[in-house]
Amino acid sequence: MARIVYAGEGCTGCKTCSVACTYAHDREFNLRASRIWVVKEEPATDYPATCVHCAKPRCQEACPVKAVIKAGDLVLVDEGACIGCGACIEACPFGAITLHPARRVAIKCDLCRGEEPQCVKFCPAGVLKLQVPAAIAQEKRVK
Amino acid sequence: MPYAFGGYMGQVLRIDLGREKALAEPLPREFVRNYLGGTGFAARILFDELKPRIDALSPENRLIFATGPLTGTLWPTAGRWGAYAKAPLTGIWGESHCGGFFGPELKYAGYDVLILQDRAKRPVYVWIDDGNVQILPAKDMWGRNTAETTDMIRERHGDREAEVACIGQAGERLVRFACIMNNYQDAAGRVGLGAVMGSKRLKAVAVRGTRGVKVADEEKFMELVEDAHERALKQPQAQQMTKYGTPLLVAYKSNIGELPTRNHQTGVFVNSDKLNADTIRAKYYVKTRSCFACRIMCKKVNRIQEGRYKGTVSGGPEYESIYSLGTNCGVNNFGAVLKANYLCNIYGMDAISAGCVVAWLMECYERGLVTRERCDGLDLRWGNHEAMVALIEKIARRQGIGGLLAEGSYRAAKRLGKGSERYVMHVKGMEISGQDGRTHRSAALTHAISVRGADHLRSLVTIDQLGYEETAAKRYGKDKLPEICDPYTEKYKALVVKDTEDTFAIRDSLIVCWYSCGWPPIFWMPDFAAASEAATGIKELGKLDEMYRIAQRICNLRRAFNIREGLSRKDDTLPPRFTREPMPEGPGKGKVANLELMLREYYQLRDWPNGVPSRKALVGLGLAGVADELGRLGRL
Repeated sequence: MARIVYAGEGCTGCKTCSVACTYAHDREFNLRASRIWVVKEEPATDYPATCVHCAKPRCQEACPVKAVIKAGDLVLVDEGACIGCGACIEACPFGAITLHPARRVAIKCDLCRGEEPQCVKFCPAGVLKLQVPAAIAQEKRVK
Repeated sequence: MPYAFGGYMGQVLRIDLGREKALAEPLPREFVRNYLGGTGFAARILFDELKPRIDALSPENRLIFATGPLTGTLWPTAGRWGAYAKAPLTGIWGESHCGGFFGPELKYAGYDVLILQDRAKRPVYVWIDDGNVQILPAKDMWGRNTAETTDMIRERHGDREAEVACIGQAGERLVRFACIMNNYQDAAGRVGLGAVMGSKRLKAVAVRGTRGVKVADEEKFMELVEDAHERALKQPQAQQMTKYGTPLLVAYKSNIGELPTRNHQTGVFVNSDKLNADTIRAKYYVKTRSCFACRIMCKKVNRIQEGRYKGTVSGGPEYESIYSLGTNCGVNNFGAVLKANYLCNIYGMDAISAGCVVAWLMECYERGLVTRERCDGLDLRWGNHEAMVALIEKIARRQGIGGLLAEGSYRAAKRLGKGSERYVMHVKGMEISGQDGRTHRSAALTHAISVRGADHLRSLVTIDQLGYEETAAKRYGKDKLPEICDPYTEKYKALVVKDTEDTFAIRDSLIVCWYSCGWPPIFWMPDFAAASEAATGIKELGKLDEMYRIAQRICNLRRAFNIREGLSRKDDTLPPRFTREPMPEGPGKGKVANLELMLREYYQLRDWPNGVPSRKALVGLGLAGVADELGRLGRL
C-alpha cells in the first residue's frame, strides 16, 4: 500500500519529478505526459501532487469500461481497455489522473511498476519518499 | 525522434508580426553541425538576416528566442533559454539568457527557435499551442506589469501551466534596459531586449507544449545525467549556493575588498554585513525555489517584516542586484534593495543597469553636476534608499529625471554633459556588472572584450578570484600555478578568459546555466562534449577539438557582427576609473588594471590582429562568407 509521499516542505518547484516520470514511462522528456505534477503559486508556494492509491478509488468507480484496476494495493489503468472518456479525471478528488497528450488514454502513477520510482530518485531537494501509510503515521507520531 | 538528430525538435517558428503570419520551417541541419544551438543559432541568423546599422528599435530588428539540444532534458540546469537581437542599450550584438520554464515549454511545443520579425500594427501577444500559433490582441494587457500579464494570459487560455515570456511597462516605454520576464522572477535581463519587444508592440509570447524531447543514446545520456546530478549534489560550493544563493558572494567580496561601492569609487563597503547572506537568511528568508530541473536550487524568496518596506515579498535579490541597487548606490537597507529588485521585476527592467544608472546620477549629484531641482527634488546623496527606490519607479514610467535615466547611463551622460561622461561605468554602452578589474584582473579583460558590453557572464573567470587551484591545475596545468590563480596579476589571464569564453559559448548553446559551469566549477567542456554526443547522436560533438571549433566559430561570428556595426579595438576598453584610479583602500589598495597587456595576448590567441578577426581565422572556421562581407564593407 505504498505511495509517493511529500515531506510537506522543501519542494522548490523545479519539476524534475515530472520530467523524470515522463522519461521513465515514455522515454522522452516532457511535462504534459507526467503522472506527478508540481503546483506553483506566487510568491512562495510549490508542492508536488500525485496519486495516493486510494483503498476505494473513485476513479475506478467512475470508469464505465473497467479500465481502472486494482493490482494488490496499486491502482492502475489498463490502457488497452481505456476509451479516453475522462470520467476518472472528474471523479478523482486529487487531480491525480489525466489523459496522455498523445495517446489520449488515462495515465496515472503506477509507482514505476516495482522499479525504483524515478521521481523519488531524481528529486533534487530529496523531499519525495516511497512510503506505506503505517510508516507515515509512525513518523507523524514521533514529530 | 522527431528530427535527424536527438535533443532537437527540428523546427524554427518564424512569426511576422506585421502580416500576422506564422510559419514553421525545418531547422537546417547545417545549423546543428556548425552552431549547436542557442547563441550559436542566433549568431548565424542575426548575421544573415539583419542589415548593418539598423536602429535596434526599428521594425527591421529581429528578436530570437532560442533553445539548445539539452534544453528541456533532465541534464541539471537545462531549463535555460536565450533571447537575442541587436541591442537597444548598446547598438551591438545583444543576448540575454534566462532560467525559469519557458525554454523547455517552447521545445515541448515543437520548436528549437522562434524568430519574431517586423512590428505589429496594434499591441499583440503570441499564443503557441503546439502547432496552433495565433497572434492575438493585447490591448487590455498593455500597461500591465509582468506578473499581471502572466496571470491574464494563463487565465484567458485556462491553463495555469502555460509559460509566458513578457514585458512590463518599461518594455512598452522602450526603456533601453527593459528586460523580458518569465515565471514572475526570471529575467532575460541585460541589454534591453524588452524594449525590442515593446518596439514590436509585442506584449508577450505564451507557450503550451505537449511533445517530448528525445535523445539519441538514451542509456548513455541518462548515465551522464545521473553522474552530473550526483556531482552537483556533492560539490561543497554548490551546497552553499543551495543554502544561500548568490548573496553568499557579498561576504566573500567584502573580505577581498571588491564589493563595488558608490559607482565603483571603492571596493570597501562599510556595513556590508547588513546585506550579506547570513543576515538575509536569518532575518528575511522565506523559501528556496528553483528553475526547471535544477540541482543547484539557488533562488531565494525573501520577506520584509518591518520598517518602511514592510510587506515586500519577492524572489531575489541576486548578488548582482545587491551590488547595483545596494552597495553601488551606497545603500545598506536590505528592504530597499528587495523592494527595488521587485519593482524591476514587475516593471520589467534589468536590475543591474537600473541600479547603475542611479549610482551614476548619485555621483553626478555628489560632484555638483546635477542640481536637486533637476532630480525632481530628490536628495541623491549616497545611501538615500528612498530616493533610489523613487528613481526606479520614475525610470519605469519615464517620469521626470527617469526619462533621462531610461536611456541608460551612457546616453544620459551625453545628454547631461558637464563632464558627467567620465563617471559612466560602462563598456560599449552597457553598465558594468558587480566586479572590479583592479582587484580581479581577468574581470577587467572580460568586461572589456565581452561581446555584449560590460558583462561578466560571457567569460567571467572564478579560479583566480575564488582560488580554485585544483580546478586550475586540472584545466591548464600545474606549471601555471600560482600566477593563474592570482587575481592581482595579468599573467595567464588572457588564456583563461579565452578558454572560458569558448566554454561559455557552448554552455549558451546547449543551453545550461552558468551556475555549475563557471561557478561553482563542476562542468566544463569535456562534460558538455560527452552530453552533446549522447543527446544528439553526432559523434563529432563528443570530440573536444570539434567543440572548441564550434565555440570559436560562434565567438568569431558574434565578434564579426559587432565589427560590421563599426566597433573596433578602441571599444574594447574600460572606464578610466579601473585603469588609472588606484583602488583607494582595502586589501587591493593601490591596484589598477593593466588592460593593454591582456588585450594584446587575447587578440593573439584569437588571431584577431588589432581586434578584428583575420580572414585566415574566419575562413579556417568555415566563415568565408562572413570574411567576404566584412571585406566588402572595408572592415577586414
